[in-house]
Amino acid sequence: MTPELLAPSHVEVPVPVHAPSDGAVVLREPRLRAVLGHVVLGLLGIACVVPLYWLYATSLRAPENIYSLTPFPWPLSVENYAEAWGAVNLPRLLVNTLVMATMVGLGQLLTGLLAGYAFAAWTFRFQNALYLVFIATWLVPFQVTMVPNYALLSELGVLNTIAGAIIPNLCTALAVIMLRTHVRSIPRELLEAARMDGRTAWSTLWTVVVPNLGPALAALGVLLFINAWNEYFWPALVLQRTNDVLQLALHSFIGPEGTQWGPLMATAGLACLPVLILYLVLQRRIVDGFVRSGLR
Amino acid sequence: MTLLEVPAPPRAAGPTTPAAVTIPWWRRVARAAPPYLFLAPGLALLVVWTYRPLVSTVRLSFLSWNLLPTSPARPVGLDNFARLFALPDFGAAIGRTAVLILGLLPFTLVVPVAVGLLARRVRGRAATVYQAMVFAPMLVAPVAGAAVWQWMLDPRAGLVNRVLGTTTNWLQEPASAQLAVIVVTGWHVLGFATLVVAAGLAGIDSEYSAAASLDGATRWQATRWLTLPLLSPTLSFLSLMTLLLAAQWSFPLVNTVTHGGPSGATTNIYFLLWDYAFGSFDAGLGAAAGLVFFLGFGLVALVLVRLTERLSFHDS
Repeated sequence: MTPELLAPSHVEVPVPVHAPSDGAVVLREPRLRAVLGHVVLGLLGIACVVPLYWLYATSLRAPENIYSLTPFPWPLSVENYAEAWGAVNLPRLLVNTLVMATMVGLGQLLTGLLAGYAFAAWTFRFQNALYLVFIATWLVPFQVTMVPNYALLSELGVLNTIAGAIIPNLCTALAVIMLRTHVRSIPRELLEAARMDGRTAWSTLWTVVVPNLGPALAALGVLLFINAWNEYFWPALVLQRTNDVLQLALHSFIGPEGTQWGPLMATAGLACLPVLILYLVLQRRIVDGFVRSGLR
Repeated sequence: MTLLEVPAPPRAAGPTTPAAVTIPWWRRVARAAPPYLFLAPGLALLVVWTYRPLVSTVRLSFLSWNLLPTSPARPVGLDNFARLFALPDFGAAIGRTAVLILGLLPFTLVVPVAVGLLARRVRGRAATVYQAMVFAPMLVAPVAGAAVWQWMLDPRAGLVNRVLGTTTNWLQEPASAQLAVIVVTGWHVLGFATLVVAAGLAGIDSEYSAAASLDGATRWQATRWLTLPLLSPTLSFLSLMTLLLAAQWSFPLVNTVTHGGPSGATTNIYFLLWDYAFGSFDAGLGAAAGLVFFLGFGLVALVLVRLTERLSFHDS
């Protein structure tokens, strides 16, 4: 804490707002602030959720009511889901998407953990340059790398396979950045102690670092899983012929003779459902794990 | 530290350690190796899947090739770059990308900070519920989000027009199409930005605010002179992300819904790259444009990082 940082707060306010002598202010002002907070956050929250609600509301309307504007779909109908079920192989799509998202999420977590550990626990030559190599991937858009990568996957013979959608995405700068911050937050003495115990760097990673990062790793893992689940363009390029993941199947309902809104909304709803459930169940832990990292 | 006889920990032992004279070379290598070994898997992946293609892109930018394996690629020197800068599309796409970035900043900076500050006043379950609602769009797959917004913006049956009582064809008129792309993309990334700001706020020691209020600062003064400066690393991280990834975030929407139209109004730089490669099969032009964007973004990012390093406060 530098003195000049506090200096501006010394300016001319003689009486602290929370002075215990000023009973009325202490009571009334926080409540007013809380009301304002509730109103603003509530409205914003509703605005954020409306499209999501509309997605499920539309998917549950009977096909003849699809243009209805009533806030609650009534009578409820699963006809759109039945139609979607008939049009695409939903179980297969779900399993494929699950495999892809799990493998990508775990792979990114592992490479991120190893790299983040290296950056946080050692000081070595070219450290900053190598860190920059990771960050600079944000400058290279997918559209720049797609043609050469497509050619390489074709040589490897994994086009139109799930493996082709997984392999190029096993490392992400986001995981490296976040895990570097996380590992740094572990007290240095803990790592030193492990070294004095004669543990190798490898065993320190798994017996000291990983157990200490439990919640953070889980939160980041879920985030990476969600990103991979929602990934569209790379699978779209690799799986052109099979369209074997959920995000691609959505396109079969958008045709030249018009969009089939009902089944499209039903499939989109199903594509979002696992992620939403995962989030609702783990919400507290995801947010806590993320927030506690003090990502900066 | 009292245990002085313990050998120097690896982090102190770079290849230039002064003790090198007495230690055989293989031990020095072994001692310096761990960080590099831990970096190896990630680096190998990046080299193969990001930097190797980048190098091929550099090569490709000096060639004329239509992406067909059977037709030979012809070296054309700097011709692709000359053509690129002569194209009116190119400058226009850059301008639109700048508009997109500026349009997204409220969603990635202003609103998340407001939410983060307001959420501190609202305690208990309600705050958790509001946060969950703001985060929800982040979970929606971009294509599913694009589909539902297309449905809501439908000129005749869409929710937006029926509620507002307008007849705007949002996605087919140039001005409103760009606005729609900004709002939908903003809706999508707001949750992530809010999460990052919440993380940044949680990392600020609350003792500072307590100290400030003891010193007589009002809440607003504490926020303005303490919280925001201490939050500046988070804010610069978010601005950098917005700058670099804005066009990328809007890409699914542009690609599946507007296809860059109407009359090019939503064609940002990444859609332009996509269009050069797979629309007009002009691989050389696409590569040249990709390279220009890579260098341009690199330069802007460097300036931004330097700038924030000079301006940020650090809590250490």
